[in-house]
Amino acid sequence: MTAWHLDPEAIRLYAQGAAPPQLAASAEAHLMKCAACRDGISAHVDTRRVEAIWQEVADRVDAPRRSWPERMLVRLGVGEATARLVAATPTLRGPWLLAVAGVLALAAWAAQFDERFLQMFLVVAPLGPLAGVAVAFAGGLDPTREIGLAAPYSGLRLLLIRTAAVLAVTVPIVAVAGLALPGSNWLAAAWLLPTAGLTCAALALTARVTPVVAVGVVAMSWVLVTAPTALAGHLHLAVGIGAQLFWLAVAIGGSLWLAITRHTVTIKLGRSA
Amino acid sequence: MSTVRVHGASKSFGRTKALDNVDLEAGPGVTGLLGPNGAGKTTLLRIIATVLAPDRGQVTLLGRDPSRPDERTAIRERLGYLPQDAGFHRGFTVFEFIDYVAILKQMTERRARHDEVRRVVALTGLESVSAKRIRALSGGMRRRVGLAQAMLGDPALLVLDEPTVGLDPEQRLRFREMISHAGEGRTVVMSSHQTEDITALCSRIAVIHQGQARFTGTPAELTAQAAGRVWTDTQRSPAALAAWRTGEGAYRNVGDPPAGAELIPPTLEDAYLLLMGEPELEVSHS
Repeated sequence: MTAWHLDPEAIRLYAQGAAPPQLAASAEAHLMKCAACRDGISAHVDTRRVEAIWQEVADRVDAPRRSWPERMLVRLGVGEATARLVAATPTLRGPWLLAVAGVLALAAWAAQFDERFLQMFLVVAPLGPLAGVAVAFAGGLDPTREIGLAAPYSGLRLLLIRTAAVLAVTVPIVAVAGLALPGSNWLAAAWLLPTAGLTCAALALTARVTPVVAVGVVAMSWVLVTAPTALAGHLHLAVGIGAQLFWLAVAIGGSLWLAITRHTVTIKLGRSA
Repeated sequence: MSTVRVHGASKSFGRTKALDNVDLEAGPGVTGLLGPNGAGKTTLLRIIATVLAPDRGQVTLLGRDPSRPDERTAIRERLGYLPQDAGFHRGFTVFEFIDYVAILKQMTERRARHDEVRRVVALTGLESVSAKRIRALSGGMRRRVGLAQAMLGDPALLVLDEPTVGLDPEQRLRFREMISHAGEGRTVVMSSHQTEDITALCSRIAVIHQGQARFTGTPAELTAQAAGRVWTDTQRSPAALAAWRTGEGAYRNVGDPPAGAELIPPTLEDAYLLLMGEPELEVSHS
């Protein structure tokens, strides 16, 4: 307890934030110890302002810390909520990305020694991003998939956001591996349009089957067509100029299909979920 | 008025018939689905949660048709769902995870969303662990996190799949308290294979077995079906469908009692055992 108390004028100035620094510091120290002056000041305090300040403090204290990918995305202009959804994409976890990079590095390394392996790289390259899309929505790897499916957020939109995130990360990995291929020829980029076409085809198929099945069907078809042609030395049939135009058409067709059906498409839940 | 109306719903996975012509109605209060593992409870709840569509039959939720995409979204805006195997991003803190689900529930305005997260965290008693990573929590606490995310947005329909499974007795009691509270003024549909939970919480129940609704009605109506079919004896009766020795040393027999048997009042569990043990039993539908 103390015999000295803040006078009414000092209380008014402090409450309005108009007290000079010395008075403000003195008043603050005194208020910590004096219940009578705290009672005295309460009548002068704008309760709405206090409430707003308290909410701001609470929000700063317990609001989620943004991970560095989230911070980077927000800096790039992506909305805070979308950045959080991207950051939770299962495929963007380190071990999975390392596995993709490892497989592609091995394929690029093998291509240094044998022409057939060079062609097999082109067979393998689109599978990395494609597998990433499947993993991004696989029941076993996305623990909140079922909760997400019961939420009003568009399943297709979530799938597209995650697909974009997966492609943004895996395509550069494949591109780096492609640059390591022997010779500086068109092969280093020949996988890009097939990847785009296959991804769009898989996404379009999600209207009928689960994302994992859709990717599985598309990937299997790609391998069944391209692997034998690569082994026979006719890979240009799958990635040559004519094929590139075909994949471009598939990518555009798949995108248009998604755009047309975006309000009616339903992401399906597999039995195992 | 019924919030949930399921009429003639069937669902198959390949050759397995998970649901076969099931009817269910649920209104405000807690409605329980009772049945053994693999009975079809989860499939029915997934249909009510709009996660699965039935192969046949009609479903109306909150007065809307979930087979229509626009109405399905409207239903989901007023729906909370706790799946049986609710998964978590284990690296997230409790707050971060619930915040993530809040984004999926289209709460995009950051401040309002965080206020809502804080509300459900307080509602489920998670304040003290709000900043902890989910992987560091006990199973009971994780289940609470699952309930908290389901309560986001104060949903009019709450679908809870085995909410008390794996919880110790104290946690189960606390969960019952929370579910009971949640059932005041909204519709809760929950599944369980624990008759104690159903007895304690539910005003209506549906017993699901082998994909079919074997009984729908109140717990008292189900219990009444076992009247005159439970008796005590000094030994296990050959006529009993099920019999077990109680703590007092006497055998509790459930089935068709012999003449002169010492009949005792049945419990919901007795009635459930009789229903499960007698596929041909004629059941009432009220």
